[in-house]
Amino acid sequence: MSMILDHVNYIYGQGTPLETKALDDICLQIPHGQFVGIIGHTGSGKSTLMQHMNGLLKASSGHIYFNGEDIYDKDYNMKKLRSKVGLVFQYPEHQLFEIDVFSDVCFGPKNLGLDKKETELRAFDALRKVGLPMELYYQSPFDLSGGQKRRVAIAGVLAMNPEVLILDEPTAGLDPKGRDEILCQIKQLQTDTGMTVLLVSHSMEDVAEYVDRIIVMNKGRVLYDDEPKTVFAHYKELEAVGLAAPQVTYILHELRARGLAVDVNATTIEEAADTVYAALGKVRRK
Amino acid sequence: MGIVRTQDLTFEYIRRDEEGNVEGITTAVDKVSLDIAQGEFIAILGHNGSGKSTLAKHINAILNPTEGTVWVDGMDTSDEERVWDIRRTAGMVFQNPDNQIIGQVVEEDVGFGPENMGVPTKEIWERVEESLKAVGMYEYRKHSPNKLSGGQKQRVSIAGVLAMHPKCIVLDEPTAMLDPKGRKEVIRAIRALNQVEEITVILITHYMEEIIHADKVFVMDSGRIVMDGTPREIFSQVEKLKSLRLDVPQATLLGYELQRRGVRLPSGLLTAEELADALGQSLGAE
Repeated sequence: MSMILDHVNYIYGQGTPLETKALDDICLQIPHGQFVGIIGHTGSGKSTLMQHMNGLLKASSGHIYFNGEDIYDKDYNMKKLRSKVGLVFQYPEHQLFEIDVFSDVCFGPKNLGLDKKETELRAFDALRKVGLPMELYYQSPFDLSGGQKRRVAIAGVLAMNPEVLILDEPTAGLDPKGRDEILCQIKQLQTDTGMTVLLVSHSMEDVAEYVDRIIVMNKGRVLYDDEPKTVFAHYKELEAVGLAAPQVTYILHELRARGLAVDVNATTIEEAADTVYAALGKVRRK
Repeated sequence: MGIVRTQDLTFEYIRRDEEGNVEGITTAVDKVSLDIAQGEFIAILGHNGSGKSTLAKHINAILNPTEGTVWVDGMDTSDEERVWDIRRTAGMVFQNPDNQIIGQVVEEDVGFGPENMGVPTKEIWERVEESLKAVGMYEYRKHSPNKLSGGQKQRVSIAGVLAMHPKCIVLDEPTAMLDPKGRKEVIRAIRALNQVEEITVILITHYMEEIIHADKVFVMDSGRIVMDGTPREIFSQVEKLKSLRLDVPQATLLGYELQRRGVRLPSGLLTAEELADALGQSLGAE
């Protein structure tokens, strides 16, 4: 149960003067149940990569295997792939359209051809998973706050029962608490259901806090693919490609430069506080 | 009197149901009085729905107060005859650069504002040049805006406002859609406008680290201003900010976590350098 990308290339405007290699020899294996962060500056190929994973774009060459099957096989059921690999676009609340929240979430499963009862069960389950208060189910989606609308949009994709959930900047434009709430909920969902989650984000602090593995994209290639600590240790190289490390990494490097023996690889505030506290203790004992 | 002043500014809107019947009245801004001096760098924080954007739209006469008054450079914004003068005094930059750029070429886009104001052609080109230089985009003047990165586009939007020679610029989450490098570029450009060109800046953001250099911070909740002070005064109150769905910069948060573990540190440390200095002093004092 996994997704494998085998030497995937994608070329825009092939044979024209504007020919651009958007994906360049991508090889990745994403096992089931992993929480993966994808980072890269605007135009690095993140979105193109995501759109290959659920078949919205077809690779110019190479293969993608989902659960052992080649998705480019002529007998492969693309529609099924799209229900198994759910894609939540940026600002998904712009795609809400139904008269109430519940009908909006029903739209996906209804289109899968499920009967009314199953559709409604799925919608209830999805809305519960994103933690939306029950009294909002029959309100117009347009009366909700930004964070609530975004949950409804995510529920709409969850109602398709995907095995893989891909989110393109799910926290853009939300206040800090709203960011934490949505990401906590997604993490919880991933832990409870064993779903694979791919999170595209421009917030290094969020990525550091939540994911097991980071894939860094640059110029259509995979620049780094490792656990957060290892990736953020390359903070100078990340800056060169328009990214950064979490702020806390810079703080720890500053402290280290001033002679405090901290572990610069801590990526969350909690870890940083631990290592600074321990380093202070050592200085005191001397 | 300052460049922007509001007296008991209140803005209400009527909520209607599907049939157009009145459901209730929402007070988005509630008796806000503030006075902003020419040349200040002001930050406005607040969770989604706290009234920040509604307040901002009053400064540019996009909205008019239900009650109370707003003066921009001494002009009452509800005076319809002065609307164009007000808009050229206080320019506005929004979240999504793609919605704000209309020209096919960068320099044409920047020239659009002054051209509409009837500025003589020769002067338009002078203004375009100085505005693009101010945001560090002069070398891209012949480029097509749609080939630029998010941060570059946003700086072109700022140059477009700048070319109208405003005394004040209001920016409503200008970095929400940008990657780390784009964010850094835009914030650097905004600070330069404030320090070099001495333009009053009013910045709305959800990224706490962007406003540590502000002269003054206003925090909004339920349409009211609930906190105001320097960044240090505001960020010293970690618990209170969290209860308002906000956050503090990571350096401040790390200092706070260390305080909680018993390390003697002052509150409201804003940068890595300040934290390092304070830790050094804390060790030296023992």
